[in-house]
Amino acid sequence: MPVSLSKGGNVSLTKEAPGLKNLLVGLGWKPRTTDGAAFDLDVSVFIVGENSKVRKDEDFVFYNNKLGDNGAVEHKGDNRTGEGEGDDEAVAIDLSRVSADVKRLIFAVTIHEADSRGQNFGQVGDAYIRSLNSDGNAEIARYDLSEDYSTETALVFGEVYRNGEEWKMKAVGQGYAGGLAALAKDFGVNLA
Amino acid sequence: MTALTMGGNAPLPGDDFVVSVRWKLKSPAIEEIDVSAFVLTASGKVASDDDMIFYGQRADKTGAVRMTETNRSALGGTNEASFEFDLRRLPSAAEKIAITGTINDAQTKRVSFTDVASLVVSVMRAGGTAVTFDVPVTGMTEAALILGELYKRNGQWKFRAVGQGYNGGLKPLAEGFGVKIDDAPPPSNTSTPTPPPVPPAPPPPSAAPVSLSKVTLTKAQPKISLAKKGTSFGEIKINLNWNKRTKSGGGVLGGLFGGGSKGVDLDLGCLFELKDGSKGVVQALGNVFGNFDHAPFIRLLSDDRTGASTDGEWMRINGSRWNDIRRIMIYTFIYDGVANWTETDGVVTVYVPDNAPIEVKLDEGDPSRRNCAIVLLENVSGEISVKREVQYFTDTQKLDRHYDWGLRWVSGTK
Repeated sequence: MPVSLSKGGNVSLTKEAPGLKNLLVGLGWKPRTTDGAAFDLDVSVFIVGENSKVRKDEDFVFYNNKLGDNGAVEHKGDNRTGEGEGDDEAVAIDLSRVSADVKRLIFAVTIHEADSRGQNFGQVGDAYIRSLNSDGNAEIARYDLSEDYSTETALVFGEVYRNGEEWKMKAVGQGYAGGLAALAKDFGVNLA
Repeated sequence: MTALTMGGNAPLPGDDFVVSVRWKLKSPAIEEIDVSAFVLTASGKVASDDDMIFYGQRADKTGAVRMTETNRSALGGTNEASFEFDLRRLPSAAEKIAITGTINDAQTKRVSFTDVASLVVSVMRAGGTAVTFDVPVTGMTEAALILGELYKRNGQWKFRAVGQGYNGGLKPLAEGFGVKIDDAPPPSNTSTPTPPPVPPAPPPPSAAPVSLSKVTLTKAQPKISLAKKGTSFGEIKINLNWNKRTKSGGGVLGGLFGGGSKGVDLDLGCLFELKDGSKGVVQALGNVFGNFDHAPFIRLLSDDRTGASTDGEWMRINGSRWNDIRRIMIYTFIYDGVANWTETDGVVTVYVPDNAPIEVKLDEGDPSRRNCAIVLLENVSGEISVKREVQYFTDTQKLDRHYDWGLRWVSGTK
């Protein structure tokens, strides 16, 4: 049963996806119909080790670096407008192929150039982020960004983490000031 | 009270409340901002053109949304438009109501919302203001804005501060909500491409497109017929307003215009012809003010001698007796002062209940002619046909002759 989380929902979702192996994180929104700069939302993944930092810059998987950890994490492509049905951006993770020294995968959604365009999630039509168990396509967790994170421009959606032999998912739902650059820096990525 | 920023949302206080939009202008190029409401289904479109509530249609069919107040004030003052809501009356298919603001004639005047000094949306209920949204107008290039939307989420109605819109004005905005816009010339049907897949609900039968114009009759579009509403039109009102350009103290400025200290005196009058063949004139000159309840069913209310009165001169026509009337020629004449029409900024507005006001600007004047035939109201099969004339004559007698009215004229004074 999918769990729709309201703001600040920090819930352990083990029951929702026992034996999780293949995970899909999807991001969707409606294209802008009014005049002005398009809404360009981006999904990103930080592959981190024990110290909650990326092992190397390539562990930051985003629109300019689509494969991480030897292809265990795959960004499906950058959508700059929200055009199209269903998820507009997605990241697929094969947890069985994730390296042993990776402890967590952290998912984030940001608005590209939110500050200069003066945008936030509340201005975007029907924006959401969700995670699916790819084996059976059961939705594990979903946040309604337009509604519950309306004044935010960046959000740490959630993480999958090792728990013994298993992977578990935790929804975080934490807004983040400063956008993708600040996030990447906090996770130890060296930005140009 | 919750103060929202763009994109933010808040729950609405119950089912009945008032949404008020207040603004101040800073650019004289903006005459007014029109505030409208669109009742939308889940698809984000209106169910029918009746769901657009604006100056030409002040309530939806259910009475859930009623435009209650439009106060306009001078430059620098606060203007207000407000809507009363009773969400219980809404049809169940209604999921969202958009509140919009549009600047009239923005493209020709090259203005947008950045030229507005302030713009605030408030949701109010007895006991005070529940939600406000101070629209960040600075830098906005839009001429039409979705100010906010009321929307249903998990069975609860909420308000969202939107502040997005269209540079092109009310037309793209209304079309975005699925309202058909009456546009001249209408597109030819022969070249219409194959329509997209039709949703299951059939379109309402032959609904007339909504006209957004506060119908301004121009040379290019001189005539409009107002669809018949039963047998009565209520009260038809005609307003003449113009600018007093001179200071009453005379001096250099006073001498420039208006022939001295008096300013220009523009008078409103009409020739009428009733169905029984009787004819006559209603005007201040000669003190022929007419009668509302008896023939000629036309009454001139006041004589504004200077243009300083804020709302000018008014003439009322008893619409319930429209069937007794054959035709009425509304005219104005410069009783006193120099016949410089363009400097009077004269505007004649015809108000017919349930129809958009019809505006005729007196801006093409010939200085040697003091009399202007403005609009001809004709009874065409019980409907009111309004035809723009704006023809200038040296005196009312010439006007009479031109239109074959056939009155006998003697000179008079007020």
